[in-house]
Amino acid sequence: MGHTIAEKILGSHAGGKPAKAGEIVVADVDFAMIHDARAGNALKMIEKLGAKSLPHVKRTALVLDHYSPPPNIEAANVHVEMRAFAEKHGSPLYDVGDGICHQVLPEGGHLTCGDLVVGTDTHSTTYGAFNAFGTGVEGTDVSAVMMTGKLWFRVPETIRIDLNGPLQPGVWAKDVTLAMLGRLRAEGANYMALEYAGSGVSAMAIDDRMTLSNHAAELGAKAAILEADEKTFAWLKAHGAATPKPVKADADAVYAQRIVLDTVNLAPQVARQHHIDDVVAVPDVQGQKIQVALIGTCTNGRLDDIRQAAAILKGKKLARGVRMIVTPASRAIYLAAMREGLFEILTAAGASVEAAGCGTCVNITGHYIAGDSQVVISSANRNFKGRLGNPKSEIWIGSAATVAASALTGVITDARTVAGGDWRAAA
Amino acid sequence: MNIIKGSARVLGDEVSTDIHCSSKYLPGKDTAFIATVAFDNVAPGFAKSFVKGDVIVAGANFGINSSREQAVHVMHRMGVAAIVAPSFGRQFYRNAINNGMPVVECDIAGIAAGDAIEIDLVAGRIAVPAKNILRTVPPLPPALGALLQAGGLIPFLQKHPDWNIAGARA
Repeated sequence: MGHTIAEKILGSHAGGKPAKAGEIVVADVDFAMIHDARAGNALKMIEKLGAKSLPHVKRTALVLDHYSPPPNIEAANVHVEMRAFAEKHGSPLYDVGDGICHQVLPEGGHLTCGDLVVGTDTHSTTYGAFNAFGTGVEGTDVSAVMMTGKLWFRVPETIRIDLNGPLQPGVWAKDVTLAMLGRLRAEGANYMALEYAGSGVSAMAIDDRMTLSNHAAELGAKAAILEADEKTFAWLKAHGAATPKPVKADADAVYAQRIVLDTVNLAPQVARQHHIDDVVAVPDVQGQKIQVALIGTCTNGRLDDIRQAAAILKGKKLARGVRMIVTPASRAIYLAAMREGLFEILTAAGASVEAAGCGTCVNITGHYIAGDSQVVISSANRNFKGRLGNPKSEIWIGSAATVAASALTGVITDARTVAGGDWRAAA
Repeated sequence: MNIIKGSARVLGDEVSTDIHCSSKYLPGKDTAFIATVAFDNVAPGFAKSFVKGDVIVAGANFGINSSREQAVHVMHRMGVAAIVAPSFGRQFYRNAINNGMPVVECDIAGIAAGDAIEIDLVAGRIAVPAKNILRTVPPLPPALGALLQAGGLIPFLQKHPDWNIAGARA
């Protein structure tokens, strides 16, 4: 009987042989992450643990991304504590404006194919884009990793999702995940790992693959792992990662479920207000008015997202009454976007640019709040009522292409119908 | 591990512990305060009438989405003896085990507020004798039992820094 990627990675970190879904393993963790929204708790747990030494602390990054920049004294003080901890123990530190944890960990070369990575954030599934097992944990877990280098895991069952064919121009990994959310519903893959495979995945650039693994968190997934290919290896090498140890699923691997999605014909999708699994195709809601357009977050704040937005808004103005904020996912992306002149295009069109960080997702910095009955179209990952600080506003979720096309027209718009909406990086 | 007996306190489906049992949206409020108001917005008066030793019987996906460890600390302070639900949010389930809170995935049909419920984690048995309800579930994996028995991951590692854990592959 064959094994899934999740079974192989967890097994190889717990003695060697592939593990079996349902088994409990104590596995060696390659890298861990704590971000500022959970650091208060994590640092307390480390103290409670009272370990004589933390031999694995240098493989734990501290990332100041949620409160970037800090909106209040409490958050600023957490940052002071985190900087002091990193200084004392020699842990990698990513400071305010450096970027979102799930972007800076891969960019910093901290992980490679076959790795086991944990972070104090549900979207730690992102690392699956690099053929690593990435999953979200809490402060107690990271304390255990710092002290022992190990952690317990229940080996998850896997849902295999084959994406049939490259996406059309104007359609992105975001739309694939939204389609899956409409099908499996939020938490429909609770406790499980996902494996995305097929020609739809091969055709995607790394930025889009990261969206695919990242956004699986909304499906409740514990991990969302892709196979590695030449694009993966080239990206990892360019970012100074360790030598990849790629892991493939066996042809006779046992899956809890197999799904084939016809990605060639997929239309852009949006999640309507308040529920991430209330998903409809954009052409079915075309004309819905919006007043706020947001591009950013660990899901869709990457360079290709910003390039796509700039391609749509080049030489244009936002629709009357629309405000737009673009928040790059990292400082590296910010710099690249500046060098490419993307911020000039977006700023001239009427958008504003914020320092890299998580603000777009949850208004944690207080810069993204919408007025009563305003409709937000956002490239974020969650749209619970009140997520951006005002329960009387609505948040709709779509790709950066959909956000930019909608900002241009003032109504939810299919990017395939506007000039520049067909932009895609050369493969 | 002993059999847990307690009175059922009922909550609905998809209850987020971040929203209803943490200070995530009540910045500056401590665990002691949250323990006096937890779940009140989904079940008015829940925290005030909660008696130490009561068992939470919740609906599907209890602790859905992102879930703070603090929620389990709050529940310990309230005196929650165990939680039974058809399914849990992944992160909440992990936090519960890591912080020594017994959690059982089990069908809750027919179990009502105030029912005397009995939980045998090792055997995998949930009973409400007065209603002739007896349900079996997969027994708790021994490794998770060892973590619960120790009171959670931190006390476990204080005793077993080498992760010497029965029933887990290392």
